[in-house]
Amino acid sequence: MRLPWSPQCSRAKPQTVSVFRARRGADPPSGVLRVDGWIRVPVRPGQTVTGALLCAGVLATSRSLKYRRPRGPFCLQGDCGTCLVRIDGRPNLRACMVEAKPGMEVESQNRQEQGAWDPNRLVDAWIGPMFDHHHFVLRPRWANQWMQTVARRLSGLGTLPDPPRWPTSTHEHRRVSAVVIGGGVAGQAAFAAISKTTRSAVLLDRRHPGHAVFGLYAEDGVVAAGTDGRDGQERLTTFETQHIVIATGTRPSMLEVSGNDRPGVFAAQGLAALLQTENLELAADAVVIGQPELAAAWGERLNLPWFSVADVAQIRGEQSVEAIELRDGRVIPAQVVALAEHPNAASELGRQGGAPVAWTEHVGFAIERDETGRCSSSGPWQLWACGAVTGVTGRDAAIADGTRVGSAVAQALLAEEARS
Amino acid sequence: MTAPTSALGSPSTPLPAEVDVAIIGGGVMGLSVAEHLAEISSLRIAVIERSYLASGASGRNGGGVRMQWGDPENIALMIESIQIFGTLAQKLGINTWFRQGGYLFVARNSASEAALVRSVELQRQLGAPTKVVDARGIRQLVPELSTEGVWMAAHNPRDGVVFPWALVWGYAQQAARHGVAIRTHTNVTRATPRERGFELELGTGEKLRAARIVNATGAWSGVLNRSLGIDLPNRAERHEILSSEPLKPFLDPLVVDLTVGLYVSQSTRGELVTGITMPGGHGRGTDIDLGQSLAFLRHLSRALIRLMPVCAALKVLRQWSGPYDVSPDGDAIVGPSPGVPGFIQLCGFTGHGFMMAPAVGRIVARWLARNETHPILARWNPSRFRGETLARRENLIIG
Amino acid sequence: MNRRTFLCRCEDVTVAELEAAVGKGMLTVEEIKRYTGLGTGPCQGKECLATLARWLLQRGLATSDGLEPFTARPPAEPITFAALAGQDPEELS
Repeated sequence: MRLPWSPQCSRAKPQTVSVFRARRGADPPSGVLRVDGWIRVPVRPGQTVTGALLCAGVLATSRSLKYRRPRGPFCLQGDCGTCLVRIDGRPNLRACMVEAKPGMEVESQNRQEQGAWDPNRLVDAWIGPMFDHHHFVLRPRWANQWMQTVARRLSGLGTLPDPPRWPTSTHEHRRVSAVVIGGGVAGQAAFAAISKTTRSAVLLDRRHPGHAVFGLYAEDGVVAAGTDGRDGQERLTTFETQHIVIATGTRPSMLEVSGNDRPGVFAAQGLAALLQTENLELAADAVVIGQPELAAAWGERLNLPWFSVADVAQIRGEQSVEAIELRDGRVIPAQVVALAEHPNAASELGRQGGAPVAWTEHVGFAIERDETGRCSSSGPWQLWACGAVTGVTGRDAAIADGTRVGSAVAQALLAEEARS
Repeated sequence: MTAPTSALGSPSTPLPAEVDVAIIGGGVMGLSVAEHLAEISSLRIAVIERSYLASGASGRNGGGVRMQWGDPENIALMIESIQIFGTLAQKLGINTWFRQGGYLFVARNSASEAALVRSVELQRQLGAPTKVVDARGIRQLVPELSTEGVWMAAHNPRDGVVFPWALVWGYAQQAARHGVAIRTHTNVTRATPRERGFELELGTGEKLRAARIVNATGAWSGVLNRSLGIDLPNRAERHEILSSEPLKPFLDPLVVDLTVGLYVSQSTRGELVTGITMPGGHGRGTDIDLGQSLAFLRHLSRALIRLMPVCAALKVLRQWSGPYDVSPDGDAIVGPSPGVPGFIQLCGFTGHGFMMAPAVGRIVARWLARNETHPILARWNPSRFRGETLARRENLIIG
Repeated sequence: MNRRTFLCRCEDVTVAELEAAVGKGMLTVEEIKRYTGLGTGPCQGKECLATLARWLLQRGLATSDGLEPFTARPPAEPITFAALAGQDPEELS
């Protein structure tokens, strides 16, 4: 028996304040994509779906699990999990990682009909700070059964992909001397140093479709990279190698401040990167909130007023950010909030490979390594790490670190070659 | 913030100097027995868990609950267990997310068909509402299923899935309410037989005297057994499992592709939870390996896409693994250990212990408290392994 | 701080819920994750793991050297079943 559920797409007017716009002199739009079947969004070359949507004022593209709150992009670099949309019949795609193309059909997910009376607002308003799903409507039994049925219907995010476009796929297996994971400045520097002595090293960056490394499989003896459904062509590439360099950098962290989940709240780090990569500028009132030293630095870099998180009572807004409320009672109108918190080392792949991590104040769980850059690990390869993922701060320091570790890898490769 | 309580166990739960029953292992079996025993007797009970509750198989399985088995005693046991599941959330005071969406076993060859037809007959004789289903019926139940190459299926609408961690916490909470001391993050370094019972030495340096000990450590049971000179043939086997991205509900039953050993279900949160028997066998031995492989992902993906083509475009969210505590004849190992009768085995459930825990907890508790026998206890007796190898009586063990 | 502040936006876990989990005796990152659901959503804790760690440190519920992250499991990036199957679906027999 099939359970019916409300229409996925909203017909209400979206947030109409465009929060970004193209800079003067930017390329003109090459076409439009459509959101929810009727909102026309101009697309510029080199834009992501998120970039295009934010320029058109579409901020909220899904609803959260329990409290049914509007959700939209936050980290702007593929890590936070709340920019997921349906694109051309494929569910749960990261809008911030997909290149916007004219003619695309983008659909929000898990949204209910909006309007003057939105049942989701009732849930959000009625339930207090504590939605205890372990004990919610536990008794009597018939109510519990009904609650479970409703919960199931409201759960989940994407709907099944549209037939009959089941993707085709290929698998390629390669033997290489070294794999550098992460194409930021440290990774590029490491790769350059390694490439001085060998032609068979590879640099894998997840922004390149098919090069997203998802697993270090010691048992299978391979590094595995693949595709996430962005285009119709699915690929798996496995690499056999003797050396793996983790240069995966850092990602934004969430800051503990009330209202931090409103669409329009972005990580300062991600916001700056998006504006630069897509040649955009802010088109609405924006502020920076964060740990004082970080907020000051980002405020200066983005040329925005900044506030220490200790001085902020909450970020206000219904469907998206409308203002921030300070503890001293002042209310500052804003449609964009840039959060400035210490970033997190993207250490998952290193940890998969067995590298130890240690908690640091400034990058969370950073990968530990010896003075040569080697990480103690198990597996049919030597694991190395360089750059921000190990706690190195600053662009120049990351480049130097990448060069240093890459040279050490190159040395190791030469020594291995000499022995054989 | 209120001070932490011991409702779900804690590393500092005070332990008495002496208990009547010490249960080692804070998984669903140990806690189910603890809860039932505390309910029906005034025995002093402690549960000792070396990590957090449900850190073993109890926290890693797919939550499947079925009465579709191939052996009458297993069927009867699970009919009883499913009945308990129906009101367990209210009894334990925690949402268990038990959903009776059914189980659909699918057959692709004559051997699987024969096994299913026979088991359906056995189940129906015992009162189960299982039915044989043809290709058209299969497509009605799960429109996304490809019936190409599928011969027939067996469907029972009363089978279902449950959220495993909640069950463990529920039993722990209820046991604690009845006075059971639940100590977590504490291991047992030694168990020494004494004149009347045993003395346990814990990793913290504490000592605990117990008249009887229950070994509920599942895949890790060999370590404790061997230290007492008990040699039983159950061995740990690693089984891998994965969950997909969350999707709106579309899959009601848990589907088993019997011929390849694939199972897939959709949780209340919308993720597909799925695993498969690996053709080369599963890691076996005394060291429990809880890693994961790419080979598993690839083998499962092919089988899943063949069964439900729409899955090709869906994405994997997380993979992990859990241990099956495999008994050579597929039957659990429950009862007094050979040579050490006060040391009671509660192991060997060969990958299907979780769903049996409600009924087994009750049966074992009655035996511990009142010496009540039950036919299944005779069958599961640990002393049965003397002599020649026993054949498997159950042919519907999956995953 | 408002107890309805979200520390995990994928699974809607609030400060109040974290306090309740701690009140039940959940003190490690892994246990808190299981009890509240924090870190089990589409981002698998990429956004919220460090936020939880900082929250625990600030409240004296953990020490820097005592903190352990969740177990890191593949896939670190989303991957389709089709890519893993590694061949044209029509070729499957």
